[in-house]
Amino acid sequence: MTDRSIPAGELAPEGIYPPTEEMLREPVPEEVQRGQKERLARVWKTPEGWRYWTAVNNSEVGVWYTMTAFVFMLIAGVMALLMRLQLWVPENDLISADLFNQLFTMHGSAMMFLFAVPMFEAISILLLPGLLGARDMPFPRLSAYGYWSFLIGGVFVIGSILFSAAPKAGWFMYPPLATLELGIGSDIWLLGLSFIEVASIAAAVELIVGALKCRPPGMRVNVMPLYAWYVLVVGGMILFAFPPLIAGDFLFELERSFDWPFFDHTRGGDPMLWQHLFWIFGHPEVYIIFLPSIAIAAMIVPTVARRPILGYSWIVLSAVGTGFLSFGLWVHHMFTTGLPNISLGFFSAASEAVVIPTGIQLFAFVATLIAGRVVMTLPMLWIAGALAIFTAGGLTGVMVAIAPFDWQVHDTYFIVAHLHYTLFGGMVFPVIAGVYYFFPFFRKKMLSDRLGRWAFWLIFTGFNITFLPMHLTGLLGMPRRVYTYPEGLGIDWLNQISTAGSFIVAAGFAVFAWDIVRPKKNQPQIERNPWGAGTLEWSHEVPEAKWGVRSIPHITSRYPLWDQPEIVERMDAGRYYLPDAEEGLRETIVTSVIDARPIQVQRVTGPAYITIWAAAFTGGAFILPTFHIYGPAIVSAAFAVVCILYWLWTSTARPPEKDMKDVGLGLSLPTYAAGPQAVGWWAVWITMLGDATAFASLVFGVFFYWTSNTAFPPPGAEHASGYLVALATAAFAAAWALTRGARGLNRAGRVGLARGALALAPLMTLAGMGGFILSVLDLDPTSHVYPAMMWALMVWIVAHGLVGTIMQGYCLAGSLFGKLTPRYDADLWNVTLFWHFLGLTALVTGAMIGLVPRLM
Amino acid sequence: MDRSDHDRQPHPREDEHEFAEERESLWRITLGPTIWAFHFAISYAAVSVYCFRFERMFEMGWLRAGLIAMTLAMLVAIAWIGWRAFLRWDVRGTGEFSNPEGSAEDRHQFLGHAGFLLALVSFIGVVYDTLPLILLGSCR
Ligand code: HEM
Ligand SMILES: [Cu+2]
Repeated sequence: MTDRSIPAGELAPEGIYPPTEEMLREPVPEEVQRGQKERLARVWKTPEGWRYWTAVNNSEVGVWYTMTAFVFMLIAGVMALLMRLQLWVPENDLISADLFNQLFTMHGSAMMFLFAVPMFEAISILLLPGLLGARDMPFPRLSAYGYWSFLIGGVFVIGSILFSAAPKAGWFMYPPLATLELGIGSDIWLLGLSFIEVASIAAAVELIVGALKCRPPGMRVNVMPLYAWYVLVVGGMILFAFPPLIAGDFLFELERSFDWPFFDHTRGGDPMLWQHLFWIFGHPEVYIIFLPSIAIAAMIVPTVARRPILGYSWIVLSAVGTGFLSFGLWVHHMFTTGLPNISLGFFSAASEAVVIPTGIQLFAFVATLIAGRVVMTLPMLWIAGALAIFTAGGLTGVMVAIAPFDWQVHDTYFIVAHLHYTLFGGMVFPVIAGVYYFFPFFRKKMLSDRLGRWAFWLIFTGFNITFLPMHLTGLLGMPRRVYTYPEGLGIDWLNQISTAGSFIVAAGFAVFAWDIVRPKKNQPQIERNPWGAGTLEWSHEVPEAKWGVRSIPHITSRYPLWDQPEIVERMDAGRYYLPDAEEGLRETIVTSVIDARPIQVQRVTGPAYITIWAAAFTGGAFILPTFHIYGPAIVSAAFAVVCILYWLWTSTARPPEKDMKDVGLGLSLPTYAAGPQAVGWWAVWITMLGDATAFASLVFGVFFYWTSNTAFPPPGAEHASGYLVALATAAFAAAWALTRGARGLNRAGRVGLARGALALAPLMTLAGMGGFILSVLDLDPTSHVYPAMMWALMVWIVAHGLVGTIMQGYCLAGSLFGKLTPRYDADLWNVTLFWHFLGLTALVTGAMIGLVPRLM
Repeated sequence: MDRSDHDRQPHPREDEHEFAEERESLWRITLGPTIWAFHFAISYAAVSVYCFRFERMFEMGWLRAGLIAMTLAMLVAIAWIGWRAFLRWDVRGTGEFSNPEGSAEDRHQFLGHAGFLLALVSFIGVVYDTLPLILLGSCR
């Protein structure tokens, strides 16, 4: 019996861990196994008929996600073919200049935002639970929500080209071109892609928590698959790279919608701020795309070499090192903008330094291959092709990282060639390798070796025919992003070769796509571990079992299938943890971060419509403002909030039917967690880190204007009312203290007082929000960038205050209706954590609005 | 909240509490790169502010001297972090360069190894980033 006086979140595991060999040897009786399987199958059943789309299981959502990203990629590829057709001959009039602008903008944006980044997240959602022997991701409904958001946003953005309404200022949307552009193209880009970025961040949060907290018992950090390390690093990078872009989008859209002059130099603004924010995102983005490919290679290489990877620590070093260093490179995209040479020097230096960890990864792979007995399987062929192409792209990369060389080739086809070499070598080829390698795991079928080799040689040769000549085209002076060129520059034949090559690439993709979708009903059942790999995902069941793993194993090695004999039989027999689903709930095990000691049974969410509704309304809130329809947009946002609240209320952190659960092998685990033990708390923490980064980018903006503009704030400018700012900040501080106090009071059993605090807190928040609004009300945000910036900070804090009030109300309601009690207080822990961040944000906002400008 | 006592992996050197999970942190391996990040951000910010705002007020020499002094302090810090990590890796004691086993000791040494290598890369990164300060003497 458990002690009812201890809060449920503080209960400790009981019983034996780790399991002894004797316990593992003991067989599980047949009829017990049968019963367990039956219950598991019922609980994890995929919904049928049209309800299929309510599925949230990673194996469904992951497939939708990958296929959608792939389709977006094909569409963007068709746009590339259209452009190549236009460039077939000089002075061609197949496509108008305007449409050509839309095409290259959409091609670039779709490839980067709708294919490259989502593809990583999609594959990881599909793969990670398998790699970690988990039943599912920690927040399945969040993955589903992310997927539906991605689908809606992607269709909206990419569909705009059918109405000739697509953005046309290039994939990095430089102002003033993009701010002045007529039509709604830029708004579609800003709002549609922001929506997708939010979904990307949600997926990143889930993946990070998955890799940290959902590993199987015993899988310490030094034995986890390298792929999981990369998930951590790339997830972290997404968390710090996307928010600056979102902050930039926020300012940009305020300028487009309300004429607040952030990037308009006639009123004190500065287009360079956008360039900074964009490339603080944009360069890490290159590595966000590239590292997952390395991760795929890190799974394939040991398998084909038939030996453990060499230099595991070195690879971890290079992943983490690249993650950091890649944030020190952004200005190399701005070498020609007239920044001081000495500043450029820093970025040149970091650009060369990042070569070290990148090189180390490649060396580790080559060393493993040399030390092993390589079998040249199809996936390995694609990896080899990737290596060749990427190396060529890396060489030109080192060239353009040297500022004076870049001054020569900037904005020419040399850059187009360079970027496609790195993208194909660093992303397209490895991802296809991954598809061939993991397809048997995803679909329990094999892809065709013959078709695969055809696709490889078509794409590989076609690619080089297309892009190799472009280096020369560029050196001969053809600028990028032009819809045509005059005769007689000596580049006609080069362009014809490129166009011909691009159709060979397209043919290769057609073969590949056919191989994926062609019916495989008659294919005999595949082997369970067709490549003879050593990692856990190949313990999967064939034909597919929806429960993921039959029982969650205890891991003691990097390659359990090679080193832990009998592990698969024991998993299958249900000898390990959580072999059953007596309560009829979906469950997985949560473990500690470093050593993966089991600490909790996590109940995960099942199929639901609510996620689709939530995504649809969130979409409305982002999409309607594109057409300047603000009223319905606000209503849509409100509905989205209601949907999300309903979803959280009905399916997260509910008091369990019993506090401890026997998970097998003599171990009992708590079924509820609060605070730092809970996955939800981690998710809030990680999300808020991203949120804080976006806020920091706004603060960076204020200082940026101060350095770049000698009149910021302009002499004699009116300031926000210091009085009101101080009051507002104090009100936020009080709201924070009340929330934190409520947590302590509630734990101590003083429920009445806690409710009082939770009732008063939202009032204080509202007062704070009102104070900030009033303090800047007299400033005219359209007159100059200084008041505009103050308003932007105000909007930011007010929007967050709104979320903060809702959360306080949510906890109050939870307390009143018995969802939140002194023993079950996870919600209050999460909300308090949010409020720690919000309190700090309010403090800084107060300083930035009320104090700092007076000192500048 | 102490859940450590009854569910740790047994191991020959189990009683050595230096291997306990509670004493370990993933953040620690990122200390070196974090210092690099600060070095980078501070140098860049200081130089930008100087070049845009204060170029006419005082000589760049002072700024460079200050930043180079900061660099030296940070290099010492990274070296120290690297040394500590090297000791944790304990390659001289055990003769093991890699630590692939699922034991507390191997995990401990692995984190040392990774921290050591990251310190090394951060050290190189900081040196690289300082070169412009040494080689270029002005904003232009
Ligand atoms: C069949 C394969 C491809 C072909 C033939 C192709 C062709 C082109 C062409 C013609 C341009 C426009 C150059 C200009 O006018 O400046 C371009 C730009 C671009 N491509 Fe591709 N591309 C292909 C695949 C990809 C892939 C797979 C990616 C990324 C994963 C990608 C990313 C980009 C980007 C980011 C731009 C720059 C867009 C801009 O200037 O705003 N491309 N590509
Ligand atoms: Cu870059």
